[in-house]
Amino acid sequence: MTWGLERATVTFGTKTAVDAVTLSVAPSSVTVVVGGDGAGKSTLLKALVGLVSLSGGRARRPGKRAIGYIPATAGLYVDLTVEENLAFVARAYGVSGADYRSRSDELLERIGLKEARDRLGGQLSGGMQRKLAVSMALLHQPELLVLDEPTTGVDPVSRAELWRLIAGAAALGTGVVVATTYVDEANRGSTVLLMDQGRAIATGSPSDIIAAIPGSVGVVRESERPLGQSWRWGTSWRVWAPTSALPDNAESASPTFDDAVMIAALVNEGEEWCHGAPR
Amino acid sequence: MEHLVEARTATIRFGDFTAVDGVDLEVGSGEVVGLLGANGAGKTTLIRMLLGLLIGTSGSISLFGGRPSLATRRRVGYVPQSLGLYDDLTVTENWKFTAAAFGIADSKLPESFAGCGNELVGDLSLGLQRRVAFAVAFSHDPQLLVLDEPTSGVGPLSSAQLWDDIRASAERGTGVLVTTHNMMEAEQCDRLVVMTGGRVVATGTLGQIIGDRHVSLVDCNDWRRAFRVLDGDGLIVQVQGDHLRVPGTPERVTEILRRHDLEGEVSGVPANLEEAFIDIVSNPTRR
Amino acid sequence: MRAMVIKEFRQLFRDKRTLGLLVGLPVILLVVFGYAANFDVSKIPTVVVGPQAAEAAGQLHAPFDVVAVDPGGNRSTAESRLRDGTAVVGIVTGQSPTLALMDGTQLFSVQAAKAAFAHMAQADAGSGVETPAVVPDVLYNPALKTSWIMIPGLTGLILLFIGTLITSLGIVRERQAGTIEQLAVMPFRPWDVIVGKILPYLLLASLDLIAIVLLGMGLFGVPFVGSVATFGIGALLFLLVTLGMGVLISTVSQNQGQAIQLAIMFVVPQILLSGLIFPVGAMAEGIRWLAYIFPLTYFVEISRGVMLKAEPITALWIPLVVLLAMATAVLGLAVLRFRRDLAPSARRHSEEESEPLEAAA
Repeated sequence: MTWGLERATVTFGTKTAVDAVTLSVAPSSVTVVVGGDGAGKSTLLKALVGLVSLSGGRARRPGKRAIGYIPATAGLYVDLTVEENLAFVARAYGVSGADYRSRSDELLERIGLKEARDRLGGQLSGGMQRKLAVSMALLHQPELLVLDEPTTGVDPVSRAELWRLIAGAAALGTGVVVATTYVDEANRGSTVLLMDQGRAIATGSPSDIIAAIPGSVGVVRESERPLGQSWRWGTSWRVWAPTSALPDNAESASPTFDDAVMIAALVNEGEEWCHGAPR
Repeated sequence: MEHLVEARTATIRFGDFTAVDGVDLEVGSGEVVGLLGANGAGKTTLIRMLLGLLIGTSGSISLFGGRPSLATRRRVGYVPQSLGLYDDLTVTENWKFTAAAFGIADSKLPESFAGCGNELVGDLSLGLQRRVAFAVAFSHDPQLLVLDEPTSGVGPLSSAQLWDDIRASAERGTGVLVTTHNMMEAEQCDRLVVMTGGRVVATGTLGQIIGDRHVSLVDCNDWRRAFRVLDGDGLIVQVQGDHLRVPGTPERVTEILRRHDLEGEVSGVPANLEEAFIDIVSNPTRR
Repeated sequence: MRAMVIKEFRQLFRDKRTLGLLVGLPVILLVVFGYAANFDVSKIPTVVVGPQAAEAAGQLHAPFDVVAVDPGGNRSTAESRLRDGTAVVGIVTGQSPTLALMDGTQLFSVQAAKAAFAHMAQADAGSGVETPAVVPDVLYNPALKTSWIMIPGLTGLILLFIGTLITSLGIVRERQAGTIEQLAVMPFRPWDVIVGKILPYLLLASLDLIAIVLLGMGLFGVPFVGSVATFGIGALLFLLVTLGMGVLISTVSQNQGQAIQLAIMFVVPQILLSGLIFPVGAMAEGIRWLAYIFPLTYFVEISRGVMLKAEPITALWIPLVVLLAMATAVLGLAVLRFRRDLAPSARRHSEEESEPLEAAA
């Protein structure tokens, strides 16, 4: 059962937060939604789980008992203990008795909290809180798992462990959607959806997206800004020539995913200058 | 190259807790140095020592050749993660406030922001807010810029524009110190300093930090089972598209797969910065 | 430094809520203490019964406001009028001495009445007219203790705090933490969440109420002569109004600071204008209507009436019905708004079909 959104549009008053976006989540897969602040990722995910209503398009999602959702801000109750948090979720989703015990043991073991059941949520580190939140969302073995920026602000080691949890869920059959601002995390999905200002500017697997770059990409190692479309990368410049040839001082380079993201944004002309600041 | 700011065995203790432990760090004119570490690694505390907001317990800090003081702090531009802007004032008002604070007369808002001078900072998108914060920090022509996670949460175009501004200032001779825990941002720096638990555990360029670390790249038909198997063995497996990246030698990985009747192509590839970082902080050796 | 001052002014002028408080609060306090805070009662509703009723009524003038003359009535008729609250003073003629029954729960009215009688006696003595002596008989609160009339009202104040302030903080805290969104996606019905959130506060407030009443009775000797059931109904309705207000405030506040500001704006005027401290009858005419929009005013009437006078439910039907109406309105509105947070997509029937999506482009 593939879940997702089909040409979904969400408007708040005069503002269009999501504009005809199609998102597809197959079971046993990870779809990553990448975009900057204000791109519409949160709203898209909320439309998927039914927290905001669609002004256009359709959504397909399983019943509430088969969804797991973690909003960008929280995921757990900081004034309840680890055990109490899990118990609350278990009761809400009807995970009972023996099932609950074995699932919670397994999940806590994976994230290293087995001996800390009585610690208050607020006493855990940021990374650990997120891991607990993901475990809570997985307790009832949902078919669709939706995570809104689970790794933002989390230290790199915890981030890797979070992705391990996410991949583990997918490996067991769950369809997972993850929203993130970190472009390097886009690679972790089998499908990527790039968003900018409410629109989908690229969709597909990472390799598909790279392959779809029109024209050629090059590197310029001099310090002056090269002619044509270019952006800095470290001490050098990446250059993109969509139709013409690369400038003379450019070496040809094999396009990376970061290049693809940049190019998609340029193509979309989502360039924000002063007045292009939708809020 | 003369160092704009230099820390030598800088240490600070708060009671029993050593927040910064014997750190050596320097930033020269025209370079972009990245301070990479998890939250709680001591990055922010170190920054505050460099700016003279905290006095260390031992070691030395030199800012523009002398001890950090109010006078020398005027030559530093600092953008904290919370941006240091007032949400309920307009861009122009924020600009004027900083100009007045630093005693700069007749300071004009840069051309590129002229269009949004009268908008409340709180109404701008995050990317634009960051660029304004950067411009404000740069308005008094500092020789050293300290930026705390400059592009966190920001989209690719804004991020590129911001790094453009950062590079441009470096080329004019400003030294830039960036703290981050974002791998992509770290890759934009000339040089990296990796911190964990208050100590520096690695320094150098991106290539030097990664060194000759390798991981195994697994291409297997049934990636889900392969994942479960390798993950079950305790390895931190990362998925990339339909490949798996696993720390460990190809021989070991192939062996584990074979034990579970799985076949796939396993090759050794250089580690990426994240994998190197995780390896370094899990096995820290003082540098 | 000048830059700091300019900046602070600019920020202050943009903060509408604080500005409102800065300007509004002094005005409100001035109005209240100017017009409302008044212990001098100008009109005392009086009923005159007994064979010489008409004659006696003729001799009464301000501050007595004769509302009924009943020659056929006797002491118990007058008493029931006092109990019902339709009169504060009941003159019983036809025996010697003439009795002036007074409702001890209206402290200031009684004092005004006593003073008026003394004045009349003096005047009569001076002018030589013979009037039968009037013997005052203060009912319900013979010792005219302030604590006896304050404590029943205080129970209302406490319910107000718990109901409004604490409930709103409890819900807003969850909104701030972001967990309300999660609740909306979990298999809860919006009703489960709303009732689940309100019920603990309802129980706590009820326990608090019982404790305060018992303490009042034990420590201060406040009597409880009326029907517990009537009191209970009144308290429940009042609680529903305050809890509803708490939920309503939480739906328009983004953080705890805002919730506290709104709760204060709702609670504080009631302390001063509900008859808890200053009698409603003593408030200037132009301001008196304010008292009637506050729920606490009605609960003070109910709790004083039941505890001190054994006022029957039939006499209290007005405040009870008003509280019922308020509870329905406020809770209804609060639930409607809260539902919006918890179940935003109204048209969901087309969205949960089971055909798989076609492959994305």
